This record gives sequence, structure tokens and C-alpha cells, in this order.
Amino acid sequence: MRESAVGVGPPVSVGTAIRDAFVRREQAAGELAADAVRMAIICRDMAARFARGGKLIVFGNGGAGTDAGHIAVEFMHPVIVGKRALPALALANDGATVTGIGAREGFAEVFAYQLRHFADPEDIALAVSPDGREASVGRGLEAAREAGLLTVALLGGDGGDLAEAATVDHALVVRSADPLVVKEVHVTTYHVLWELVHVFLEQPGLLSPALIA
Amino acid sequence: MSMTEGSELPGVPACMRELYPFLYAQETAPDAVLAEVARSTAEKADEIVRLRREVAALYANDLSACAYAMAGRFAGGGRLFTFGNGGSSTDAQDVATTFLHPPTGRPLPALCLTCDVAVVTALSNDVGFEVVFARQIAAFGRRGDIALGLSTSGGSANVVQAFEEAAGRGLLTIGMAGYHGGRLAELDSIDHLFVIPSSSVHRIQEAQTTVYHVLWELTSRAMAELEVTAAGCPAWELEGDMS
Repeated sequence: MRESAVGVGPPVSVGTAIRDAFVRREQAAGELAADAVRMAIICRDMAARFARGGKLIVFGNGGAGTDAGHIAVEFMHPVIVGKRALPALALANDGATVTGIGAREGFAEVFAYQLRHFADPEDIALAVSPDGREASVGRGLEAAREAGLLTVALLGGDGGDLAEAATVDHALVVRSADPLVVKEVHVTTYHVLWELVHVFLEQPGLLSPALIA
Repeated sequence: MSMTEGSELPGVPACMRELYPFLYAQETAPDAVLAEVARSTAEKADEIVRLRREVAALYANDLSACAYAMAGRFAGGGRLFTFGNGGSSTDAQDVATTFLHPPTGRPLPALCLTCDVAVVTALSNDVGFEVVFARQIAAFGRRGDIALGLSTSGGSANVVQAFEEAAGRGLLTIGMAGYHGGRLAELDSIDHLFVIPSSSVHRIQEAQTTVYHVLWELTSRAMAELEVTAAGCPAWELEGDMS
């Protein structure tokens, strides 16, 4: 392992830094299984919306915005051949509209504004926010709730203001304060959510609420 | 409550039946559904934890070398260009924004080559999709810059061409792939290639996210060391010492 630069540098070797970096991820990733039942319920509800013709609208800021884009493409063009394409739209892709709303109505409205114009009552709104305190995400979920959408939030840290918000039907919180670690667990989470949505869609009998209370 | 009786649904891929056998049985009780979901979710969580451990063991030395190489380039005024297709394009965008607008530490110049949709669609429409990244690297890339491409298959023509263009222009080239690395593993034009040893596209992407996050952390750390060292020599000489 290469040690720090000659003569100066922190006492910890780079080899230790690498080992620590990987180990730091493990606990949060391993805790995903604890949310399995909640994930099943989320996917049952999402599948029911898709079955009624609804689409998925996803949003988040920064790195979470790239998660929104990733989620949208997983549904629109599945990596597993033969799985059904489902309609999904990520709200950070239209740079003109996002910057335009930010400049005129204010950044807090960037997602709410678009939701008011694109959302139909059968749709699903999925927000991604590692800290759960972003005004734009909160306003987006409010607009989604007003429009009758199913609202889901992937969160981190302590869940911020959104974990218990009345506007959120289902929240999943990754218990880490490091936004990079939160994101890594979110990627596995939404891959599993995608897979389970298809399981429920392919088994219409499972969509009955009585089956999973 | 029991499911509708009858034969298994046509058109359901065998892999899904194998992953969730209870859910494709003719009668399914609620407890069995939940137990099956819990089991398969736990299995995936275990799988990604193990895969990341394997990657850490395989690539610790390479990550270190790569991070110091990147730091040397940034210290010399280099910029990072990222690219990939589909889900990997969102990862490429995440890499760029992590460097340019980091959660902590010094911002570093980074640009994702999938963001300019006018350029990407124009090149695809007029020339071909295989040149969309290579042409942008030709326009922007200078000796001293860094090109980082992500792929799960390792087989995309536009990613291969981007690496060949970048290497020809003297950029540091970094690749991320999966399974056995596909075409990327056969190229001479990639300085640092990280191949995630899995055949699952989803697990490959999840592991790659950790790899580029760790790479960012190490590069930030290396940048801080370079500032403290203040060696007073060009970044190229630093890079040459740090293999």
C-alpha cells in the first residue's frame, strides 16, 4: 500500500483509508432487508397505479436528481429483456424549465410547478432526498398529494421533515448521515422496488389490499 | 386469500419464477408473500455487501494509483469528462456533479458528456451514435484532462470510441465495467479499468457507485496532500512518482 506523500500528510495510510471507506458502507447496505415488508407494500401500491394507466414521476436535487433519472430509465427501458416498459418521467432533465422556474417563481417550485402540469390522478410521485429537508422536494410532494398521486419518498439521515410528513404515503429512510452512502443504498433499494413492481404487475391476484395489510 | 387458479402465466421469464417461487404458486397466502419478499430482499442486500468486499480486495491498489493520478491531473489544471449510456449515463452525471459540487471539500471541474442533448442528438442524427462522446472529447479534451466512462456490458461502441479518442489526445483514461469487462478489457487505451465481478446489471451499477464515490474521496484526500506538500514541480512529475 502506498503511504502518504513523503515528509508530510495525514498519519493514516491510503490503504487504511480505502479499507475504512468500504467498511463504512456496509452497515447501511445490510439494513435494507429490515425494510422488506414496507417495500412490498410500496410496490403493491405502485403496481396498482401502473395497472390503472398511471405513470411514475421522479424528482430530487443534485446526486438525487441523477437517481431520479436512473429510476426513470429503469422503468422506461428495463435492463432485463422481456420486462414491460412502464411510463416514467424525471423532473430535473429539462434544464430550461428548471432554471426558468428557479429564476422566476423560485427554486422551491421547480418540481411542484412541473407536477401541476404533467401529473394525472392515477400517477405515482417518487421523491429522493438524502436529508429530507429540501423545500423543492417538500413542495413537490405537496403538489403531488393535491393532485391525488401516490407519494413515495426515499430519504436518508434522520428522514428530515419528510419521513413523517402527511403528504408522504410511504417513506424509506437510510440511516446514514453520509449522502454518498445513502445514495448507494438507494440504488439497491430502487432496483429491488423496480423488480417487485413487476412481480406484482404480473400477478394481478397480489394487488388485492387484503393480501398484504 | 388464494390466487386465481390456473396454469402459470405465459410470458413470465423463468428467472422471475426462480427468484420468487412462492409468488408464482397457484395459491398464495399473505404470510408467504411477505416471507418471500423479505427473503429475496435480504439476499440482494447480502449479495451487494459481499460484492463490494470483493471489489475492495481486488482493487485497493488500483484505486490508490488512480486517485493519485487524477489528483495530479487536477492539480495541473485538468478537467474530468464523464460518459456512459442509460443508467450508466446517470452515474456519469453523478460522478461529474460529485466532483464539481462536492458534499465537502474543494470543487473540481467536471463535465458529463450526456447532458448536452442538442449535441448528442445532432451527432447521432447526422453522423452516428457511436461518435457522441468521442466528438465531444475531441472538441474539449486537452492533454492533462481525465476521461471516465461507465458501462455495465463493456460493449458500447460510443464508450470504446471515446476511450480511443481520449487516449490519443493524452487524457488519463478510467473505465468501469462489469462481468469480465467486455470490449473494454481488450483495449490498450484505458489506464485504469475497474471490472465489477458480477453478471447482474443491477449489482454492477450498485458496486460501481461505491467505486466512484471512494475514488472521489481518495482523490480529494490526494489533492489535500498535494497542497500540503507544495512540491513546486509540475503535476506530470508528481503523477510519475505515484504509481
